[in-house]
Amino acid sequence: MEFKTVTPELLEQLQAAAPGRVHTGEDMKPDYAHDEMPVYGQRMPGAVVECASTAEVAAVCRLCYDNGIPIIPRGAGTGLCGGCVPLYGGVVVDTQRMNRILGYDLDNFTVRVQSGVLLNDLANDCWEKGVFYPPDPGEKFATIGGNVAVNAGGMRAVKYGATRDYVRAMTVVLPCGEIVRLGGEVSKTSSGYNLLQLMVGSEGTLGIITEVSLKVLPQPKQTFSLLILFPDLDAAISCVPKIKMAGLDPQALEFLGREMVLGIERYLGKTVYPGQCEGEDVGAYLLTTFECDSEEAMDGLMEKAAELCLDNGAMDVMVYDTPEAIRSAWAVRGATLEAILAEFKQSDECDVVVPIPGIPEFVNYVVSLEDEIGLAVRASGHAGDGNVHVNVCANDMDPDEFMERAERFMALAYAKGRELGGLISGEHGIGHAKESYLEEALGGTVMNLMRGVKAAFDPKGLLNPGKVCGKA
Amino acid sequence: MNILVCVKQVPDDYAEIRLGGDGKPATAGAGTVNNAFDTYALELAVRFCEAHGGSVTAVTIGPEGAQSGLKNLLAVGAGKAYLCAASGEADEGGTAALLARAVELCQEREGAAYDLILCGKESTDEISGQVGARLAERLGAAFVSGVVEAEPSGDGLKARQETEEGGVVYEMSLPAVLTIAKPAYDPRYPNIKTKMAARKAVIPVLELGAAEPALVSCLGYSEPPKREAGVVIQEKEAAEAVKKAVVMLAEANVL
Repeated sequence: MEFKTVTPELLEQLQAAAPGRVHTGEDMKPDYAHDEMPVYGQRMPGAVVECASTAEVAAVCRLCYDNGIPIIPRGAGTGLCGGCVPLYGGVVVDTQRMNRILGYDLDNFTVRVQSGVLLNDLANDCWEKGVFYPPDPGEKFATIGGNVAVNAGGMRAVKYGATRDYVRAMTVVLPCGEIVRLGGEVSKTSSGYNLLQLMVGSEGTLGIITEVSLKVLPQPKQTFSLLILFPDLDAAISCVPKIKMAGLDPQALEFLGREMVLGIERYLGKTVYPGQCEGEDVGAYLLTTFECDSEEAMDGLMEKAAELCLDNGAMDVMVYDTPEAIRSAWAVRGATLEAILAEFKQSDECDVVVPIPGIPEFVNYVVSLEDEIGLAVRASGHAGDGNVHVNVCANDMDPDEFMERAERFMALAYAKGRELGGLISGEHGIGHAKESYLEEALGGTVMNLMRGVKAAFDPKGLLNPGKVCGKA
Repeated sequence: MNILVCVKQVPDDYAEIRLGGDGKPATAGAGTVNNAFDTYALELAVRFCEAHGGSVTAVTIGPEGAQSGLKNLLAVGAGKAYLCAASGEADEGGTAALLARAVELCQEREGAAYDLILCGKESTDEISGQVGARLAERLGAAFVSGVVEAEPSGDGLKARQETEEGGVVYEMSLPAVLTIAKPAYDPRYPNIKTKMAARKAVIPVLELGAAEPALVSCLGYSEPPKREAGVVIQEKEAAEAVKKAVVMLAEANVL
């Protein structure tokens, strides 16, 4: 596909639309060429506009659209699939200045934000206001707009669902510059095609989200965490449906293999999880958080959950019920990616989601590929929702060779995921890095339906080209 | 060896605490935890007894709500715990006097004297670092501060004190009071068995009476000045960035 490039005339018009916040050439930070995964390829845009309002985004889109220039929406750039990379140049619309929390309607359990608000800021502000925004993706410094654009999930998805479940309404700028309002601050809808939910997970290919109304919940009164020790991953995952069937309703339910924990503890420089239980090696862990209303309720729930796990193959159950202890237990899980990146200079990742009983087969399979592919494999993830994060890693390998091996690995891993009834991505999205795997998984007919939807929103194909289903 | 560990309940030091309308730290929403250095002291005591035999007792002066903190200590190796109630505002000397009284009452209950009394080297709220030393003075016991390791030595005790330059090893007779700094390990966490037993435990409450009149009173608190915004050096090449940083430091008379 042929795109026009940014001209001095267009720059002048952009400057008029967003005075002092248009950057080009040397003035642009190199980070605009990539997200958190530069390994998927980098390219600088022709210009960056730090937009401060919906009206500015609309003005920029209109100018680009009329001039045949690609428009690339970008939040904090923390994506993992190259979703904000300007593959064909063009103008990056940076939403980070749109970072105001616009207000609460606490009687209606709704908060309105600009899309550049950071998740961390929103979660803290909600808590201070006495309510709770449950989505809890690992990256706390992503923008809410980015979270919505990839339908980010996180640790609490097992109980509370993903970002999608909290989006009630939004303001969207279409590629042509028109501003539309989708959804409403209501609890349900049966009002035609749900374009609001279509925008969630569309990765900036259909429109630019500038404001979002999000559902919030009452705060849980008390939480505690259990670390459940198992001899191996099969035993750990077999326990997951038991925990759910017993109605224990964990807020979070993660799995970690022993090897992964050892790597993380090396990175943290301390031992947090027991490696042995009565002389036997621990092979896998489930880390859970539960909610309760009172100290008395905590006693009962703690005992019931532990008994259930011990009756179903657990070696022991560790208890973390003080703020410090809960932080300490979760710091291990939270440091997974940092530990991998500290140990390895090169890394590629996927976040396949499979039916929960398929987790052990999937993890054992991908780990078994280590020798065949010649890359280290690290897997962990959300036991409660079947989302497995797999990193393939190396040190000092020729970059082309690394990518060739990583691609061979990914093809096998995605095929295994499909065989188990899984999908390509649980929460990271497709970007441009995973599009070929998506096409292989979904087939031409479904991909063409997606392309038809894309064309309805963006007839000229200018908004975030080359992403999700838009390979040129 | 009979070891008593003195534990203070403090606001969760993870919480950001500002001054309230009354000019005092607004700690109400912060949650209460066992002082971190006191938990190191307990872990050191438990490890000591696991290696050399003995018993560990934890004591806290505080309100009824401090029971849960003591139960957390019972779950990670303390064999017994006492909650002590006192009235009035105590300064550090007054706190040491109350603790000395608590030691006496606990010993009466146990029918045996403590050989070793451990305190954290300081509390994370007031950070005065005085109480351990003043308690030792009251008890007429040997005292070493900032200890990270301890082991028996004949009828006495050897303790390694951590210093900025390295360490110093002391030998002392018993009874002794040690204040404990951060050792090379973290406190353990409980498993379900020890946790449930601890949660169901009944903790005796001992009455200490009124605190001695304070000799020192706090006139007011102030918050640290806000940090000024930093300067971002945007040079792309490391060498250029360093050059610019050196020029800036020279201009600021730092170099």
